Amino acid sequence: MNRLMALIKREFWENKGAFRTTPLVIGGIFLAAMLMFLITFNHFDNEFQSLKELLRFIAQQDAGLRAKIIYAVNLEMSVFFSTVLAFVVFFYLLGSLYDDRKDRSILFWKSLPASDTMTIASKLLSAMVVAPVIFWVVYVMTHIVIMLLFSVVVLALGENPWTLIISLSSPFEVWTLVLMSYLAQSVWALPLYGWLMLVSAFAPRIPLLFAILPPVILGVLELWVDFLKTFTLNENLFGLFGHWFANSPLIMSGDDYNDEFGAALGIPITNDYDHQVTVANMLDRLFSTDMLVGLAIAMVFLGGTLWLRRRATES
Amino acid sequence: MSYVIDAQGLTKRYKSTIAVDNIDLQIPPGRIVGLIGPNGAGKTSALKAILGLATYEGKLSVLGKSPANDRAALMEDVCFIADVAVLPRWIRVWQLIELTENIHPKFSREKCLQYLSSTKVTLDHRVKQLSKGMVAQLHLAIVMSIDVKLLVLDEPTLGLDILFRKQFYTNLLNDYFDEQRTILITTHQVEEIEHILSDLIFIQDGRIALNKSMEDVQQNYAELMVAPDQAAAARELRPMSERELFGRHIFLFENANRQQLKELGEVRTPSVADLFVAIMSGGES
Repeated sequence: MNRLMALIKREFWENKGAFRTTPLVIGGIFLAAMLMFLITFNHFDNEFQSLKELLRFIAQQDAGLRAKIIYAVNLEMSVFFSTVLAFVVFFYLLGSLYDDRKDRSILFWKSLPASDTMTIASKLLSAMVVAPVIFWVVYVMTHIVIMLLFSVVVLALGENPWTLIISLSSPFEVWTLVLMSYLAQSVWALPLYGWLMLVSAFAPRIPLLFAILPPVILGVLELWVDFLKTFTLNENLFGLFGHWFANSPLIMSGDDYNDEFGAALGIPITNDYDHQVTVANMLDRLFSTDMLVGLAIAMVFLGGTLWLRRRATES
Repeated sequence: MSYVIDAQGLTKRYKSTIAVDNIDLQIPPGRIVGLIGPNGAGKTSALKAILGLATYEGKLSVLGKSPANDRAALMEDVCFIADVAVLPRWIRVWQLIELTENIHPKFSREKCLQYLSSTKVTLDHRVKQLSKGMVAQLHLAIVMSIDVKLLVLDEPTLGLDILFRKQFYTNLLNDYFDEQRTILITTHQVEEIEHILSDLIFIQDGRIALNKSMEDVQQNYAELMVAPDQAAAARELRPMSERELFGRHIFLFENANRQQLKELGEVRTPSVADLFVAIMSGGES
């Protein structure tokens, strides 16, 4: 356990820029955008008359409706973090078993009494848990700072931030949902993560190419053969990938719920799962047949990864 | 007696070539063994098998464990430096120390800091900021602070200047080696390690060409330097090799009568390098 923790720490040290600096920059962008908005506003309307009117208008709206909008906006704020997180994890895994082969430091790592299984586990856990949790923590911090800043502004403009917004928002529920959705997504994405690690352990060079080309070629061939045979385009690899993406348990988009806007899991273009943001709907995806197939695929990829990693110093 | 390394019929085959060809090798504890061979002789392949870095055929036991199946457990008692400067370039020295401390049960931070204090390496340095020589010093400091039974060094000083190389082996011998430990070294710079070796192994075309203790080498081999007029007489005694230097003829003999040689000229113990050349070229003719 101690060794696994040490290896995970090593992953954090090596990827501090991606895992820690990146989310902090996103948080900074949010705050900067908010400050810029206030400064610009002040430039054109230095009494904040129109903002005061807007707040007054909001305050007159139905509290239930306000609560729903605040709830959805707070959830949606995570999308920016999630998108960047997805890119960070993608490139992290792609390099995870490639970089040390390239610079030969694998010879040092292999001289430590840590098994290849443990090494792979440390990298997978960094992608599944460490990176998402750090992004989530920064998201929560950004959220808190924005709420405070907003309260100060509202207070300065003579309205009560507590009744206007804070008492109506349920931050702990929102934060829990976002964290759950991050962790659920880590499981949902296991087939992809397994594939990326397999490529990382295999690619003699340019892992990005090896990760993207085979599925694209396979998908195009499949499309073409399908079209020649039936003159229709049936479900193929791209469709499968699209479904996987649209059915994700990650908060990605929005949807209408009884004519009211709300956040949605994945993209609500499929009917396989309920897209409303609830823990039950996330678990519904994780305990599905689709997930079972996905896990089996991930196991095959990860097994191949281990096989390759054991032989990485062969020549 | 239990051997540190016990190989029987060790073979390593790549697609079409045989890198290690049916080697039998026993190395007892408390030795410093030099594994010497030309490029492509199979040294690195043999070492990789011993370290669990590559698959092999035949029987191989290192400290009673199977390297192929048990690398992680084996690495608790074996350390190796494979090539110079393979430490990860992004890591900081303090991170490297903390990591090794957490992963290696037999690592001593105090020892490591003590070794490092005599170098210019500081805890805040990143490996990529260090010169090649400093990286080697750092790696050696880490390795010497781990209390293992077998240390394997594969070209540990390649590309370092002579001051670093001398210091490297001095540290190794004075601060690290003792009766309980075994060190296995490969290098092309034979002359720098011959005075610290206790055993010598030559490997050629995947086979062992010579496996002797240094005492045996000193007893069994003699180098004779003669003036040109004595050269014919020396050739009569069937030398392993002959070469010319500044007009004098130098012969290398195996199991020759030293008394007899002394009558012809000056007799010395050959250097490992000269012995190496004689045996390697002898094997070809």
